[in-house]
Amino acid sequence: MIVQLLILALLLLIIPTVIGGLFINIDKIGEKMVFRWVSGQFALWAGFQLICVPLILREKRFEYLVQLFLGYMAALTLMALAMEIQRRVKVMRYGRVSLRGLFRGKENRSVVLWMLFWGLLLFQLVQAVRLAYGDTDDAYYVAVSSITESSNTMYEVLPYTGGGTKLDMRHGLAPFPIWVAFLARMSGMPAVMVAQVVLPVVLIAMAYGIFYLLGSVLIPEKGGKLALFLIFTEILVLFGNYSIYTVENFMIARSRQGKAALGSLVIPFLLLLLLLLLRKLEAKGKRHWMLYLLIAAGMLTGCLCSTLGVLLVCLAIGVAGLLGAICYKRFQVLFPLAACCIPCLCYGVLYFLFD
Amino acid sequence: MGDAAALFREYMGTGLIVIWYMISLIYLWINEKRKYLRLLFLYMPVILLLVYFNPLFARLVYNVAEGEIYYRILWLLPITPVIAYTTVCIYGRFMDRRRADLFALCAVGMIAVSGSFIYSSPLFSKAENVWHMPDSVVHICDAIRVPGREVMALFPLELVSYVRQYDPTICMPYGREMTVDRWHYRDLLRDAMIEEIIDAEKMVPLAREAGCHYCILPVNQKIKGELKEYGWEIFGETDGYIIYRDPVIELVVPDGQP
Repeated sequence: MIVQLLILALLLLIIPTVIGGLFINIDKIGEKMVFRWVSGQFALWAGFQLICVPLILREKRFEYLVQLFLGYMAALTLMALAMEIQRRVKVMRYGRVSLRGLFRGKENRSVVLWMLFWGLLLFQLVQAVRLAYGDTDDAYYVAVSSITESSNTMYEVLPYTGGGTKLDMRHGLAPFPIWVAFLARMSGMPAVMVAQVVLPVVLIAMAYGIFYLLGSVLIPEKGGKLALFLIFTEILVLFGNYSIYTVENFMIARSRQGKAALGSLVIPFLLLLLLLLLRKLEAKGKRHWMLYLLIAAGMLTGCLCSTLGVLLVCLAIGVAGLLGAICYKRFQVLFPLAACCIPCLCYGVLYFLFD
Repeated sequence: MGDAAALFREYMGTGLIVIWYMISLIYLWINEKRKYLRLLFLYMPVILLLVYFNPLFARLVYNVAEGEIYYRILWLLPITPVIAYTTVCIYGRFMDRRRADLFALCAVGMIAVSGSFIYSSPLFSKAENVWHMPDSVVHICDAIRVPGREVMALFPLELVSYVRQYDPTICMPYGREMTVDRWHYRDLLRDAMIEEIIDAEKMVPLAREAGCHYCILPVNQKIKGELKEYGWEIFGETDGYIIYRDPVIELVVPDGQP
């Protein structure tokens, strides 16, 4: 069990954080370890979507996907490490920078607020392990992960009952459960345990990581205001059960499902990236092409999570891009944003063609 | 349009959190000076709401995807960050620290009263094991599993959603699809299994036709007729369920397996 958890920590925390070094120059917040972790994970998810869907359509074996994705992961990691060496910065440094950043407040008030934030976060993570949520959608998504891991096929077995089936395009184009199966295969932990116990802990923490980044763009860290922002987001999430449809409900209760990741990770992360983009437009600053690459990765991750993600991410980018272009009279921004939408539109076309 | 409005009402719940969101938007409309924030926090949500309530767009989405997931467009509204950000902005305007703290406490209280505590949902329960599956499912699946091959087992409806998450080598004649009334799936075997008093004469041939090696029934399940008369043997009993084995359906253990 400990070895399995260590492998999962490597796959879900360390490797994404190393890969996130590729995006360090995007903005000032690119140096934050949380940003590296989140952006690295999005780069991995985007690659997974690009590799996985063609293999599903061609009915290839799951182990073939595992090999290809491992190759992609290794290539990105090596590239990031090479860049790191070029910058002559030791990897260990980031831990120090991050901890200093999180507890930068010199006043007692700030420290108390940060401790309150960490306490509430810990409470939610413990609850994610301690409590089970009876959602029958898991009978599809988690079963697909378990089947993929054990049968070595992708979407060729009926998840509810067993037996062969033809590809269900709606789900096959958004193979988030296959990624869960990948984690299970690599760690040796049963897919059901990865989905029900490990992923909620990691993805809930990542959602707050994105809120932290959003907060650090919105609010100067002075007098514990950033910690206060995060505490309010936690309270809003904890009391977000006012309807079963809310993002907060999905984030806490169904975090192992792709649609929950779409609402609680992809959309807030795209909001953050759009904030950075519009801020650069306002400052007439240099637009880094890596920022567009990360937006494209975010959009591809939206497609990985849910077929409806195609519509949601294109809608968000389209509306924000048009608003930015009109308000700042910078219409050239529309071209790279349109290019970011192209892969998503391809999945949309595939859905119409084959469904 | 009617469906979109109904989904919007359902999404809002009591509507109080959405009221705080609207108040936050008005506050930002008046006070927020940074243009990029106004674009993302004010103008974009307004446009997205116009898109959401646009009947042409709604019809398009309803035709392409399931209508019941249309509410997910509302996920694009940054409700949580906007309310949290506005509250911090108002907090920052207080010169007196005590008043600021009092305001923060009141805001927390108002959010708590307006929303509903997520862990109070009846769907949450203490996990029975490390898989977050009912113990009964784990024990039954472990008992009937045959290494190296699949087995067909008939489960009561309350367990079907969990079985193949835990062990995908266990197949079932019907699964979770039979538990969702709005999907209108029908199956004679499922109908026979949900009877208050199961009729063995009706159920056993249907289970055999489906190739079930095992049938799992609650201990206190009333049965008309004797299952033993049809050759069914009690294979085991665990967590309030009896596992029956039908020897008529052959179960060959693959070579090299224990």
